[in-house]
Amino acid sequence: MNYYFKSAIAGSFLLGSIAVNAQDLSRKIPADALAVATLRGGNLTELMSVSEFNQSFLGKKMLEGLAKDHIADFPGMEDFGFNLSSDFFYYNQSSDSVSYNCFLLPVKDAAKIDLFFSKRGKIFTVKDQVRSYFNVDSTEAVHWNAEMLLSVIPIEKSAYFKRPEVRERLGLSTEEESNLYAPENANDAVMADSAAVDVTEAMEVVDEQEELVVAKPVKQKKSTAVKHRSKKTKLKGKKSAGKNSKKKVGKKNLTKKKVALPKEETAEMEVSTSEEAPATFESDMSSDTVVVDTAYADNNDNSNSPFFSDLRIKRAIMAKWTAKMSADFFAGKNQGSILNNADFNKSVDHKAEATIWISGLEKLTSAYLPLDYFKGVNFMGGYGAANAKLFLEDQSIRMSSAMTFSEDMGNVLRKVHKRKLNKKFMKYVNEDQMIGYMAYAMDTKAYLQEYPKLISKIYGSVYSDEIGMATDLFSLLLDEEAIGKVIKGDGIFVFNGLSQKEVAYKSYDYNEDNFETKEVMKTKKETLPDFLMMISTEDTRLMDKLIAYGVKKELLKNHNNYYEVSIPKSPMALYFTIKDGVIFLTTNGQEIQQIVNNTFTAKLSAKHKKALLGNNYAAYFSPKKLSGKIPAETLGRLTQVEKTNKTLSALGDIYIRSFPMKGNTFAAEISMDIPRGQKNALKYLMSITEDLQK
Amino acid sequence: MLAGDMLKRKARYFLLILVLCVFSSCFQIIEEINVANNGSGTVNLTVNLSASKTKVASLMLLDSVNGYKVPSKQTIQKEMEEAVVYLRSAPGISNVKKTLDFENYIATISFAFKNIANINNVNQNVLKKMKIKAINNSSYSFNPETGIFQRRYTHTKEALIEYNKLKPEVKNVFKEASYTSIYRFEKPVESSVNPLAKVSKTKKAVMLNVGIMGLINGKTNITNQISLAK
Repeated sequence: MNYYFKSAIAGSFLLGSIAVNAQDLSRKIPADALAVATLRGGNLTELMSVSEFNQSFLGKKMLEGLAKDHIADFPGMEDFGFNLSSDFFYYNQSSDSVSYNCFLLPVKDAAKIDLFFSKRGKIFTVKDQVRSYFNVDSTEAVHWNAEMLLSVIPIEKSAYFKRPEVRERLGLSTEEESNLYAPENANDAVMADSAAVDVTEAMEVVDEQEELVVAKPVKQKKSTAVKHRSKKTKLKGKKSAGKNSKKKVGKKNLTKKKVALPKEETAEMEVSTSEEAPATFESDMSSDTVVVDTAYADNNDNSNSPFFSDLRIKRAIMAKWTAKMSADFFAGKNQGSILNNADFNKSVDHKAEATIWISGLEKLTSAYLPLDYFKGVNFMGGYGAANAKLFLEDQSIRMSSAMTFSEDMGNVLRKVHKRKLNKKFMKYVNEDQMIGYMAYAMDTKAYLQEYPKLISKIYGSVYSDEIGMATDLFSLLLDEEAIGKVIKGDGIFVFNGLSQKEVAYKSYDYNEDNFETKEVMKTKKETLPDFLMMISTEDTRLMDKLIAYGVKKELLKNHNNYYEVSIPKSPMALYFTIKDGVIFLTTNGQEIQQIVNNTFTAKLSAKHKKALLGNNYAAYFSPKKLSGKIPAETLGRLTQVEKTNKTLSALGDIYIRSFPMKGNTFAAEISMDIPRGQKNALKYLMSITEDLQK
Repeated sequence: MLAGDMLKRKARYFLLILVLCVFSSCFQIIEEINVANNGSGTVNLTVNLSASKTKVASLMLLDSVNGYKVPSKQTIQKEMEEAVVYLRSAPGISNVKKTLDFENYIATISFAFKNIANINNVNQNVLKKMKIKAINNSSYSFNPETGIFQRRYTHTKEALIEYNKLKPEVKNVFKEASYTSIYRFEKPVESSVNPLAKVSKTKKAVMLNVGIMGLINGKTNITNQISLAK
């Protein structure tokens, strides 16, 4: 009853919040986004108020990092102009040539964002209420208005730029030429990164000049965005190709501005007056140029090599595309919204603090992996959309993930996952003694029968004949039915802790008089795991044969109704028996006796039973129970022991489980209980991060 | 190094075993040489795997581990026997004895020599037999007239090259392994040049105890010149 009441409240609350939450930017995400990540500010601020966050360790660090020297202007997270109680998004959009990483953030007060940018010396332009900022080589663009902020980082797809016809069309050098001049260990990404970092750092230094620099180009140039852009970026590319000398950066800034300007055309300038601009601009430019050139000559003879000129061309073209893409975004020219995608909608969970949705692994891999390398072998064939969600709750942290498969794959998985864990296992688990368990249930027979089919799906299109023969041979050699009877496919491993056993060994001592050697016995401790393993079996004939052989070879000691595995000179004892269709293997002699004598005291809560019997995979681990049980010798120093034990006892119980297949969707979840005394998961996580810094 | 050379043939197998002790395993190699005033003497070599016996025992149940073949008890015994037969026929060598303790995994070989130079011959022949091109980087000499005992040793890069070829888990085996050499004399020792060596209370014995790693990477030098009182 209580449960329904709670759900009703939660439900009505959710509906309310959806209605209230007018600033839902998800509708702006294009329908063809390959992946979307959502961070729910509303849920997070409910768990921890913004002012609380500002005071937290992480909050302070973030503020420091963001505001830098202007902390007075941005005393709290709320002062950056974003709507912290709304949803934040990341999404990826890809074409055959570029992958765009887009961050879409809800804006509360655009003026604050303007202030942030100008304080950081980042110059932006305004057109139709949309502010635009481009980094030095225009490979990063940020646009915002009163409603939202979009930041785009494009990444080239090298496979596309390697295509000969593309290289020719874009005026790139041949690949051989380009490779010849490529700097060692440098790839485009690295180059771009270093350039970008370089620039932002330097920007703070050259604040003032920048503002002036911007003014002039705006006045001068008035032509279409596209044309200008490519021209500009070429110029910039030359500079950024150089090594990181500050002077060069100054120049980069200049070019960046120019790149930015075509967007505006009719823009009113935010910064600086046009009168004073030109003069400063000129001087600034000339002084810069001089220094840049020396820097060039000094340490960058390669800058005109095909590699760098290619880099310039590629960046210019990507900048052009990025600008077009963001302009379309703000103009509302996107083709449809992701909200029209049923699968995405299904993954939306307003209770989750964070979610990641992937449109389809097959789509994603084909967008990213150069498929021509794999010659048509489809590794990800059959994998559909996937999602992961993070829930920060009052008593636990929970992460769930789900993946949808194609009908074929779903069929295979459903068959393989048909088996449930053997109920008899429950009679031999005592939760007071255990530290954790791992259980799985799958159908061995189905697996062996279906496995060849899976393989032929992956390789089928290319090597169909070979695979066909191999899978036939597989079936011929293995009697799936028989194997499925010996090992049915379900089992559980119960971890009961660690123990130490003393082991004696011989060594030598030397007397001081004449270094005469004397044989002495010494002891050392070996740390061994204590566990009980149970596996279901139906046909014990093969096992019986193995046992008979083991006993004959004296590898097994027969204790009437159980066996002891004799590992020579090993301090670890291992016992096993087969009873009621279950193979038991344990390190504890007492336990095996209790099992065969039916005197084992089982104790298992409904929660564990449900997790074990209801799912194909279930695992549990209690770090707290393990703390204090780790032998000090294993860890070494005493402080290390204390620290480990402290960390372990601060962690809650961890559960992992998979859920039964729902249609073609396979889902799993990992969760951790929050220790008592913690208000909610978010605050708990914050306190842990703080502790780790100490 | 006498121990290394002498047992190289067998050591192949011992190494194989060692190789398998991937955990807290460690082993000892002890080389004892007693030199009489007239230059004759006895040698006693010990390889002790007792501290790793749990692992060795488990591994000996397997045919091969990590790509190395695990020798059987019989193979080890046979190879040891062959070494003894060879030693017995070697000039100047007598009273050859061996022990093999499969309970604790300790192997020893002992023999008497007329002149310490006999040991060097043995080394060289063993190396030749095994078709190992290694430079004979270790030799002993004793001059009864001057009372000077010399142990010459030069590190060969080959050891390190071979070591570097090993898998990381196998490398661990050598990290805690030790090499001990003890030279005993009838007259008191006046000086011992190697700073790592210790002279006993009676002044009649010199001991050097080093890690095997230092020998492999060449950081440890076990060359020594010991002068006896006249």
